[in-house]
Amino acid sequence: MRRHFDTTDSTGIDLAPMLDFVLNLLIFFIITAVFVKEVGVDVARHGGASGGPASAKETGSISVVVKRSGEVLVDNRAVDVRAVRANVERLHAQKPDWGVMVTAEQTAPTGLLVAVIDQVRQGGVENVSFGTSSR
Amino acid sequence: MLSRRHLDHAGDEHGIDLAPMLDFVLNLLIFFIITTSFVREAGVSVSRPEAVTATQEADGNILIAIRPNGEIWMDRRQVDLREVRPLIERMHVERPEDSVIVIADKAANSGLLAQVMDEVALGGIQEVAIGAGSTAGQ
Repeated sequence: MRRHFDTTDSTGIDLAPMLDFVLNLLIFFIITAVFVKEVGVDVARHGGASGGPASAKETGSISVVVKRSGEVLVDNRAVDVRAVRANVERLHAQKPDWGVMVTAEQTAPTGLLVAVIDQVRQGGVENVSFGTSSR
Repeated sequence: MLSRRHLDHAGDEHGIDLAPMLDFVLNLLIFFIITTSFVREAGVSVSRPEAVTATQEADGNILIAIRPNGEIWMDRRQVDLREVRPLIERMHVERPEDSVIVIADKAANSGLLAQVMDEVALGGIQEVAIGAGSTAGQ
């Protein structure tokens, strides 16, 4: 008799509604979870409305220009996109503390711009800033 | 009689012990609550430029897409360039540690990309990356 009363005590709380609720929450979070991690290229801005960092200008920087025609100028010399890396490596060896300023024309395609930034980063320069010229 | 009733009652309810299952489910729930990153997706697909040096952005939770025709998409709807700044300001207040990834189409103008990045910076988020598809290891 005494023992039976003890058993009733341990079933005092009905867990079923709580379990329903928790399972619903769980399903909600599983469904809304997004497991994709985005990849991207970190770039600073120079010029423009947000007023870019002046540090690149203080120490000087390697200039890379992307034209809308697809031409790429490194240090005012036209080079192929795939040759940007070699050129940047050479200039970086001469001036190790310089960053790279990539200036694109307004209508230059983003694909080319990112390809150039990628080449610069492959050339060993992490301090890349990006701006646009007025044309 | 009383003891008989208690026996029946208790015996029926104790068919399966729910406690271990509840523990397990609660652990799963906590896991999903913690790992949910609340990514704000742009809502359109763009053909992103490819880069070997692209890295995973840890807190890149706000995505802005720029389509080749100049449309800007964020938070699953098309927005005007002038709307970007207040939207970013609001999201920055909600989750201050989030950074922004601007996913511009290969054919989009870099002038517009620069303007969008400016608006994001003016909205208070300085960590802006250009979205890229990783080709590392190919």
